[in-house]
Amino acid sequence: MPVYKLHYFKSPRRGRAELSRLILSQAGVEFEDIRFAHCEWPAIKPITPFGHVPILEVDGQVLAQSNTIARYLAKRHGLAGKDDWEQALADMYAENIHDLLNAVAVPFTEKNPVKQKEMYQKFMRDVIVPHVAAVEKQLKKNNTGFLVGNELTWADLAYYAYFSDFLEVKFGSAFLKNAPHLKALIDRVKELPNVKKWTEFRDSTYPEDNE
Amino acid sequence: MPVYKLHYFNLRGRAELARLIMSQAGVEFEDVRFERTEWPALKATMPFGQVPVLEVDGQMLAQSNTISRYLARKHGLAGKDEWEQGLADMYADNIGDLMTGMRPAFLEKDAEKQKELYEKFMTETIATHVAIVEKQLEKNGTGHLVGKELTWADLAYYGFFSFLVEKFGEDFLKDASHLKSLIALVEELPNIKKWVESRPKTEI
Repeated sequence: MPVYKLHYFKSPRRGRAELSRLILSQAGVEFEDIRFAHCEWPAIKPITPFGHVPILEVDGQVLAQSNTIARYLAKRHGLAGKDDWEQALADMYAENIHDLLNAVAVPFTEKNPVKQKEMYQKFMRDVIVPHVAAVEKQLKKNNTGFLVGNELTWADLAYYAYFSDFLEVKFGSAFLKNAPHLKALIDRVKELPNVKKWTEFRDSTYPEDNE
Repeated sequence: MPVYKLHYFNLRGRAELARLIMSQAGVEFEDVRFERTEWPALKATMPFGQVPVLEVDGQMLAQSNTISRYLARKHGLAGKDEWEQGLADMYADNIGDLMTGMRPAFLEKDAEKQKELYEKFMTETIATHVAIVEKQLEKNGTGHLVGKELTWADLAYYGFFSFLVEKFGEDFLKDASHLKSLIALVEELPNIKKWVESRPKTEI
């Protein structure tokens, strides 16, 4: 087994490294979960390939870009999809989440609380509601309980991380009331033994993540 | 050979990389382009209300880099092994970020402000990235971004950086001889040359 070292900030709430941590945890693969304080970043930045994190060190070689890292790990550990087409579908869902992360970063970083509340409302209404409707349709069509094919892939973990571990925690489940398939999916992922083991471990070990 | 239909606006934008990949691979495809006025009606027919979308024998795939990666893998342009494929993905994601980074300037309506935003983008975001990629190219030492052969990563950098040269001139590449050579290398590939000469001429 190669030595995996995942490097990322200590906070905000898990951010773009969490999907890789979920993939590794679900696959039962050990990894060094390196988290550094924001004040250490100026010293670390120049030694990253492109000046950003997360980065994954694999036996000394470095890979950057959160979804690239997640996809690489998913492929190596049986969570990528059964064939080229399924792998592409899983990629597509992961890139949807990437776009949604970019979209929520805008209200997330707004300092004025009144403006922030407005921005979050607009975001939920204009971005999340249509996307939830579209994904609910796809889940119904696929009809296996999973986003891709008939097994768990990293796409399901990506949707869990964003919709359950982030949005549901922040806004409650009201936005999922018309999306029973999506709700069932994220609840199923939440209860997977290895996912549960990981979330319980990280919530007690890294309380500063819970903002 | 499956039937490929690529759906997008009449632009290069986020569909051009897929077109470059299919052209380089010598693969036929239906290059479906629609006007902005047609989009509201078409939007509902796309899986996530966005384009580009690749139709493969009737099934639909969304997300520009997903489409490009799928085509690259099916047609020998993805990288030799899992690690190379990871590196190629990483470079393609870089280009995705740069395109996203350019959007605020692109969308700015005020001409003065737009000029400022583009200037900032080029002198900060692009200059920094060019310096880093130049170093990676030197380190790899093969003329290509990944391994020793052409991958979709090279096509991605060609697509975006040749657009920047078109728009802003090549001064910003004056200290990046390896990146400049890479762009020239791709430009001269017979299948790329043929595509670029025959494709519809669009602003972006």
